Amino acid sequence: MHEITSSLPPACDFNEVRRVEGFDRIREQYPDFLSDESKLTMGPFDLLFFPANESELSAVVKEMVRRNIPITVAGARTGLVGGCVPPEGALVSLAQMSKVLAVYHAPYAREWRIRAEAAVRLADIDKMAESKRFPDLEKSQDPFVIEQLRLYGGEQQRYFYPPDPTEMSASIGGSVATNASGARTFRFGPTRDWVRGIRVMTMTGEVLDIPRGKYFSSPSGWFTVYDGKGSCYPVRIPDYQMPRTKNTAGFYASPHMDLVDLFIGSEGSFGIITSVDIALLAWQPKCSIILFTESDERALHLVETLRSDKRLKLDFLEFYSSSAMDLLRDMQAGDPRHVGMPAIPESAGAAVFFDVGFDPLEEKPDFRALEESTASAGVYLADSWAGYEPRELARFKAFRHLLPEKITQVLSERKKTYPGLHRLSSDLAVPDEHLFDMWRLYRTQLDQAGFEWVAFGHVGNNHLHVSTMPRNMEELERGLRLYAQFAQKAAAYGGAVSAEHGVGKIKSKFLAKMYSADEINQMHAVKTALDPDMLLNPGNIFAA
Amino acid sequence: MEIVVAVKQVPEISEVKINRETGTLIREGVASILNPFCEYALDHAVRLKAANPEIRITALSMGPPQARAALLRALELGADRAILVCDRKFAGADTWATALTLSEAIHQFVPGYKLILVGKQAIDGDTAQVGPELAEMLSLPQISYGIEAELTAGLKRIRVKREIESGYQIMEARLPALVSFSKGEVIRRAPSFKEILGARAKQIKVADASELGLAEKEVGLSGSHTHVVKIFPPSQKVHGRMLTGLEAGEAGREICLFLKDRGIPTDSDMRYRT
Ligand SMILES: Cc1cc2nc3c(=O)[nH]c(=O)nc-3n(C[C@H](O)[C@H](O)[C@H](O)COP(=O)(O)OP(=O)(O)OC[C@H]3O[C@@H](n4cnc5c(N)ncnc54)[C@H](O)[C@@H]3O)c2cc1C
Repeated sequence: MHEITSSLPPACDFNEVRRVEGFDRIREQYPDFLSDESKLTMGPFDLLFFPANESELSAVVKEMVRRNIPITVAGARTGLVGGCVPPEGALVSLAQMSKVLAVYHAPYAREWRIRAEAAVRLADIDKMAESKRFPDLEKSQDPFVIEQLRLYGGEQQRYFYPPDPTEMSASIGGSVATNASGARTFRFGPTRDWVRGIRVMTMTGEVLDIPRGKYFSSPSGWFTVYDGKGSCYPVRIPDYQMPRTKNTAGFYASPHMDLVDLFIGSEGSFGIITSVDIALLAWQPKCSIILFTESDERALHLVETLRSDKRLKLDFLEFYSSSAMDLLRDMQAGDPRHVGMPAIPESAGAAVFFDVGFDPLEEKPDFRALEESTASAGVYLADSWAGYEPRELARFKAFRHLLPEKITQVLSERKKTYPGLHRLSSDLAVPDEHLFDMWRLYRTQLDQAGFEWVAFGHVGNNHLHVSTMPRNMEELERGLRLYAQFAQKAAAYGGAVSAEHGVGKIKSKFLAKMYSADEINQMHAVKTALDPDMLLNPGNIFAA
Repeated sequence: MEIVVAVKQVPEISEVKINRETGTLIREGVASILNPFCEYALDHAVRLKAANPEIRITALSMGPPQARAALLRALELGADRAILVCDRKFAGADTWATALTLSEAIHQFVPGYKLILVGKQAIDGDTAQVGPELAEMLSLPQISYGIEAELTAGLKRIRVKREIESGYQIMEARLPALVSFSKGEVIRRAPSFKEILGARAKQIKVADASELGLAEKEVGLSGSHTHVVKIFPPSQKVHGRMLTGLEAGEAGREICLFLKDRGIPTDSDMRYRT
């Protein structure tokens, strides 16, 4: 079916919606709402709304459209590209739409799901899924909700939500809008793969209820959206090829595509996601392993070996470059307790992190495949740290996330001398066969430039965060030019210019490196079909 | 040279939660770990072995079948072998019955031991009695609250730095001896995956009451001379006041006023004594 009809939520009085009016008041009472984690700020805006439900949201949308006022949508404002930073008009914060609506078993899919309003935080979803305690649902009057909660509570198996972006205070709505990914994307895919349905409000103020697997584009690539009044909005899906990598740059498009996928990762370009159904997965006990290698190149070789060995099922494959290890050694020299791990071995030139399924009480665990595979790459399991107890898993995870914190610290020190300084960070992914090419490019260019840089992150997806810490403004300028070249090259390799953080406002200029003018026009056509006056999230994706 | 490290599996508790009705520890949903002080004892055994490679380390535990996990951790960290004494009859043992059972196991399975290392206490019961009782039962010299240890006199003596309230003490004992430890590695060791797999290739010997030749009335609840009447959290100390964001001089004045307000003599009344 490629036709879908939206419906109007129960009416409510626009004047009842919680709001702050006037830029001065907003700045005074809600200073955090002027920016997100990119720290980008834009022009003044005069309206800030906190709708509590779909009815209130609908009243706001209809009134803003009537007055021709642009709307920017904010989830938890953890974005890194300024997506929820309003250039003008109104900011709609979904913070009040933060209830979990159900945990339920989908019998055909044989999986447990959670239905939650947009502002529920990922960290809370994780906690509730694991502890099987849902404060919102315990108060429910709905017999179905109560019964399903009881059944879930009675399950012996532990469940989890596989997407694991680093910033767990993000909202579920925001993470779906940006198709967030994390380390585990290597095995389990990005957020997209775990979304089973969404409710999304269009600029008509009506809601589309889109379960996955119901609405597909027509053979010629169209969807037709009707509103409650019978108006028709035909949408033509772009015909470009998506990169074969992790990607959050540009709208998702594929032949015979599911309508839900058009909204996932579109950064709120087409509508406001009000609630989401996500799937949970049975959790298996794990052992976290940090394998040390003599050099960066050896580590990348190991990565290629491990991921091509079909016998192995690794949850993720992450990387610390040799320069990253040196920075961590510095931290250990300062305060070993802060790092929380034993002294990094002298011989460790780089490190590769992964998790394997592991039952601690199994009598004769068989890891011959892993032993063979690592040895064939010239790396040995004796040169590793490993841990499987919950406290060890937490300790290893913290170690994996330690580096960005150190980089921020180094830079804030330098900012005292050069206030305009910031770190340069890449978010580029390339197809498997170009991992080494991209690595050589980074290394030769950055070393030649004489920069202080480290690489870490999602090496299994050929998606490294390469962070340069400029020492002065001149280095920053040179670095910016170099990073633009990196993006160009990644796109030429068939990769993505924004693998994880989205485009928002900050990266809209990179889009042209990946897509032709015609392809960007096709994206624009989708946008105007659903938001004819370009009032929703202005400045996102398409530079204003 | 044989070293025995007695270890216990405990719930991983940072904050003790107590069931008010039964007065027992709530262990539900809490992961089990090797008691941190036992891990310190093991740290020291491993260090002694690094200096004296002929040492063989045996990890010994009395506990339910699940305590195997704690012994596996001990093997991963460097114990050469592990023994679990495990029998329903041991259930409900107090510190005396536990020490008696362990002492029998040591007699039987590691008769040539030269050193017994223990943690100062287990974090679930906090009695700090099993180590000293074990030393008494085996008629061994004992040094408690150790933080450093070294073997001297051609492996005939052990020299231990121990914590006391006013500082440190260095004591020596002839071997065989028992030492309890209150500190080890500041940061937990991380075994390699090879060591984790290696631990699983080793056999853990399991022994029951009959193998130890102990009578039923000597072990478990019936062999216990004490029983727990009540467990309760100690009353909370009144929190002090934290001064932050002040210059040193300013902070000093604040502290001085705070003490004066409470009638405590301060610098102006009393010269600082060193
Ligand atoms: C330290 C740190 C680490 C990070 N690590 C990762 C990572 O590992 N992986 C990753 O993918 N991202 C990461 N991010 C980026 C960010 O956390 C994600 O993009 C996150 O998904 C954004 O969610 P949010 O709720 O904060 O959205 P916001 O920042 O509020 O909004 C992001 C965009 O989505 C739109 N939006 C938000 N909610 C909705 C909605 N309900 N309907 C329609 N549009 C909406 C906004 O308009 C905006 O364009 C990181 C950020 C930080 C600060």
